[in-house]
Amino acid sequence: MKTFVQIGERTFETEIVERAGRLEVLLDGKLCDVTYTEADGDGQVTVILDGRSYALSMGGDANDVSVTVAGYRYDCALEDERERAANLAAREASKGGGTVKAVMPGVVVELLVEEGDEVTEGQPLLILEAMKMQNEIGAPGEGVVKSIHASGGQAVGAGEKLVTLEAKPE
Amino acid sequence: MFKRILIANRGEIALRVIRTAREMGIESVAIHSDVDASALHVRMADMAVSLGGRLPAESYLDMDKVLAAAKESGAEAIHPGYGFLSENSVFAARVKEAGLAWIGPPSGAIETMGDKIVSRRAMTAAGVPCVPGLTDPVDDVEAAVAAAADIGYPIAIKAAAGGGGKGIRVCRAPEDMASAFRTASGEALASFGDGRVYLERYLDRPRHIEVQLMFDAHGNGVHLFERECSIQRRHQKLVEEAPSVVLDDAKRAEIGEIALRAGRAVDYEGAGTVEFLWSGGEIFFLEMNTRLQVEHPITEMITGVDLVEQQLRVAAGEVLPIRQEDLSIHGHAIEVRINAENPFNGFLPSIGTLSNLRHPGGPWVRMDSAMYNGLEVGLEYDPMLAKLIVWGPDRDRAIQRMIRAIGETNVGGVHTALPAALQVLRDEQFAGGDIDTHFLEALTIEPPDDYAALAAVAAALYRNGLARRRALAPVEASRGGWLARSRAETASFANYPETLAAAEETPGR
Repeated sequence: MKTFVQIGERTFETEIVERAGRLEVLLDGKLCDVTYTEADGDGQVTVILDGRSYALSMGGDANDVSVTVAGYRYDCALEDERERAANLAAREASKGGGTVKAVMPGVVVELLVEEGDEVTEGQPLLILEAMKMQNEIGAPGEGVVKSIHASGGQAVGAGEKLVTLEAKPE
Repeated sequence: MFKRILIANRGEIALRVIRTAREMGIESVAIHSDVDASALHVRMADMAVSLGGRLPAESYLDMDKVLAAAKESGAEAIHPGYGFLSENSVFAARVKEAGLAWIGPPSGAIETMGDKIVSRRAMTAAGVPCVPGLTDPVDDVEAAVAAAADIGYPIAIKAAAGGGGKGIRVCRAPEDMASAFRTASGEALASFGDGRVYLERYLDRPRHIEVQLMFDAHGNGVHLFERECSIQRRHQKLVEEAPSVVLDDAKRAEIGEIALRAGRAVDYEGAGTVEFLWSGGEIFFLEMNTRLQVEHPITEMITGVDLVEQQLRVAAGEVLPIRQEDLSIHGHAIEVRINAENPFNGFLPSIGTLSNLRHPGGPWVRMDSAMYNGLEVGLEYDPMLAKLIVWGPDRDRAIQRMIRAIGETNVGGVHTALPAALQVLRDEQFAGGDIDTHFLEALTIEPPDDYAALAAVAAALYRNGLARRRALAPVEASRGGWLARSRAETASFANYPETLAAAEETPGR
């Protein structure tokens, strides 16, 4: 089965086949000259790719893997063909809605919009205080404020809904 | 000299103080909150006192608890580290009233330098150049708009009680002044319980240059040259170096003298740092940090002076053993802060459990770290986990050495700012020394394409390994089914048709 590895804007297509006890890796259809050896059980890995040696630090789960090499970190989103189809369908279904969530725990200091307000991209929706800093949380795009999930002075956790926007009526 | 000192701090700075104290034959007492019970500073100290609590206010900031811990443990002096109570003049006074030595400056010096407005007045009187602006806080929006026109845009709106880059707003145009003033004042009130703000000119392409000072209680003082900390975002430093590339020897001596004047004006004792902004060849006083600073190791690397040792000596009443003419700069040092932050997402704090740590080594590499596998990184405390410091005979070699050392380092379980530091160090403009305090904010942090294909292949193999381990692992459900099956097979000899049916119904196959 193929696995798609997304790093930033780029997507790599990989396929791993076991042949006579050895793993063969195809990257975008081409066979790689690679060996992958776990140095310990914690994520230290030695990779020899095309004769060059790399010390990698790996972490994560089946769908989100972080790879650190030479000090750089690559956050990889992985999905196989089946997961890819399911994820695509889910994305299609949620199109058009826009919910602004708290990216970190904090306190809503002030709401700057009301339900029904038309907003433009980047327009401040509310002020969120986190880590002793006041951050203006802007609208991700043009739209109308459909609902507000937080009130002034309320503490919110990371990932909690703040404001939901909907598309402007035509 | 003291026999035993209490360190009123946590993290890497507590370890830093413990190390020098141990080398000097002084015992260290650690204090800790409940969440820090297994922290490295507790393990490494000679004694440890639990303060209980989770948040700083319930532990490291609770003066009564800290003083009681010092009494209980028989410590003769308190080292405050940086942050927490280190710049609290009330605490400094209370330590002395309790009959203990305070490893820091006199309470009065902390108080003067801790208030932006009072310190500015004192510095102007002492002939230390300050940034054009108001010495008095502005009362309201109207006054702010009027005053801003006189000072000239862009304007920095600063909290009177602020520090460490907290509570500063920049306003670039008159039409934004009213809203910027309101936000800054609200933020100041929320953060410091003091909504007073003052206005000053925002300098173009400023560089952050600071001078390390050390005074004893007998009127002797030296400067230990400068550090440049222009690589910062939201006024929080990320990469620091010593010396600065913009100063020649004459300018260096001049700035050192100005810094000493600033220290003498407040009867300073101990280690302190005078921060300046450099813009267009001029320097302006920013603030004085009345404590040991995070980036002090780079000064230690280029001068060979152990600043914590000197702090302990002068706090014990000894005469400063170094004279200005004894000091010189040897080579170049760089420090990178290892903060638990996600540089790919606006440097937001990153929380998690540390794993898969790999520390760098090799010549002239120093790691001041409080990290260990299993450390829970939460939001209770500062995100700085460790500092990586290197020395080189010149700036280019120091940069190459830092790139090499970062390449050897790994911190798993959280994001760190290391990839951002690496991108700075590899930047041609940085290599040329052409930097200012906006340099980092202008960078988009992203990993280079170089290793992307390698990372993709490795990630796919990692996933494959996880799947294989999962298939082999006897997890609860399959194990249950497997046991039931084997029992069924045993029983099958006795009663074949029934047991076969039971085996087929067993869940978890």
